[in-house]
Amino acid sequence: MVAHAESTFPNECCGAMLGVSDGVEKQVSVASPIENAYQGAQNARYELRPEDLLAAEREARKQGMDLIGIFHSHPDCDAYFSETDLKNSCPWYSFVVLSIKGGKFDHANSFLPNLDQTAAEKEELIYG
Amino acid sequence: MAKVLIPTPLRQYAEKQSAVDLNGATVGDVLAALTSRYGELKRHLYTDEGRLRSFVNVYVNDEDIRFLDKDKTGLQDGDTVSIVPSIAGGTAAVADPVAAPVTLSKEEILRYSRHLIIPEVGMDGQLKLKQAKVLLIGAGGLGAPLGLYLAAAGVGRIGMVDFDTVDFTNLQRQVIHGTKDVGRKKLDSAAESMMDINPHVQIDKHETALTSENALEILKDYDIVIDGTDNFPTRYLVNDACVLLGKPNVYGSIFRFEGQATVFAYEDGPCYRCLYPEPPPPGLVPSCAEGGVLGILPGTIGLIQATEAVKLILGIGEPLVGRLLLYDALTMRFRELKLRKDPGCPVCGEHRTITKLIDYQEFCGIPQHAPETLANAADIEPRDVKAKIDKGDRFVLIDVREPHEWQIGHIPQAKLIPLGELPKRINELDSADEIIAHCKSGARSAKAVEFLQQSGFKKVRNMKGGILAWSDQVDPSVPKY
Repeated sequence: MVAHAESTFPNECCGAMLGVSDGVEKQVSVASPIENAYQGAQNARYELRPEDLLAAEREARKQGMDLIGIFHSHPDCDAYFSETDLKNSCPWYSFVVLSIKGGKFDHANSFLPNLDQTAAEKEELIYG
Repeated sequence: MAKVLIPTPLRQYAEKQSAVDLNGATVGDVLAALTSRYGELKRHLYTDEGRLRSFVNVYVNDEDIRFLDKDKTGLQDGDTVSIVPSIAGGTAAVADPVAAPVTLSKEEILRYSRHLIIPEVGMDGQLKLKQAKVLLIGAGGLGAPLGLYLAAAGVGRIGMVDFDTVDFTNLQRQVIHGTKDVGRKKLDSAAESMMDINPHVQIDKHETALTSENALEILKDYDIVIDGTDNFPTRYLVNDACVLLGKPNVYGSIFRFEGQATVFAYEDGPCYRCLYPEPPPPGLVPSCAEGGVLGILPGTIGLIQATEAVKLILGIGEPLVGRLLLYDALTMRFRELKLRKDPGCPVCGEHRTITKLIDYQEFCGIPQHAPETLANAADIEPRDVKAKIDKGDRFVLIDVREPHEWQIGHIPQAKLIPLGELPKRINELDSADEIIAHCKSGARSAKAVEFLQQSGFKKVRNMKGGILAWSDQVDPSVPKY
């Protein structure tokens, strides 16, 4: 995830997180980059094509995993969940945001939006 | 019979199944059958009002039903219906973390009551305005009505970039400043007027010239940028910074009786460079200071910009994107030109060559340091011209301004030959004579000198600083304008 986010800097990157969930904890095993499909300045926006998401879901199933989250980067910006992120999110997935400053990974946070996309709960990230 | 694929996170509500076979003639029928069989799913797919949630897309095989017949899209036996979330995001637009809910005080509810009772605005809209962050580039002609009305409308945070002070020539149109403000910083004077109208507004004063070094840093905190500048380097700078940051640029420009407005760099719309890939040669398009402007005009254009900014914040109506609005005050007509995004645009096109801010002075052909050229060697100070007059030296002083400028004030010894008439009236001059040319501030007379030199006149000089400098150095009774 970090390597992908650093390589797309100064643009935002995005991708899918495949793994397993027991309803409380979600464990990511594979991070699969997806092309940023936003038609415009990609240093501040990202967009996923639905067909790419479908493909990611299919890929996950093939490997006996689930699509459990989406990641994207914030170039030269902190890893918060912006209004744009919230309004275009989906409560079915965890959203990991990576802060990339000057081309290097700085920090990350994970968020779980609510059903009405009015707020997002911060999730604890456990590395390793 | 159609197969509905259930995305992983929703399977817990559908007895852990990944696909369900259902009967129905249309997508709507099948989804109704699905949600009646698995009641829990309904809440996840539909809002309380019964609309599909904004992040839910439905595909029949490989086609999005929004581009087919929506929920009336017909189904064949064996079709696959997929439920796919739409996901996007980014740091653009509102760049704040999800914050505590914003509310209006009783006093604010009274203040905004005429907004609150419009269904399209209402409480939701007024709260959007309160949370909006708008940056005005310039606190001058366009900035004045923008600042006053956006503050009154309740835009929560308004930034202003300006480093100028108020002078008497501003008061004919910059209604945010008063006579008592002459000599004060425009930012201080403007902020005071805005706070007087609405103390609930936060005003950020950026007392600086916008440059390639500071533009991204200043612009990044705002949702919308409004360009109220009067020069090409800053216009290109604002445009490029907006495109790079993904922020809409609400553009306006004014000259004499005519104005233009549009919204650049909004979503997939065109940018300023799509319209004007190259700046005009320096000096070709006069600024308001050089060419004049009807005092009311910036009011009209500034308020069109304010209207567009408020619409963008509220998310209502049809934004002025891809359309250049042209206004002619004399004929009182509005016209509209279609603008298209240029796929070859260097900053927003398919193959971008501008990925960071550049040197805009150089791009617009404006030398940073006036080169010591021959033309400069031909300069003469107004006080030296006066000394020549007093000594009785034989020379011809020509005033290359326009007749209406001559009427404001002129030097008694001068002969009026407007720059545009110089070529056909050149026979009125004798190349044996020493000739000194002047205009308002020295730019047009420099062109006159260059023209005369090219026409074989050897003894031509330019009075430095024009009649403005004459008023300073020689005769204060000649009014400045």
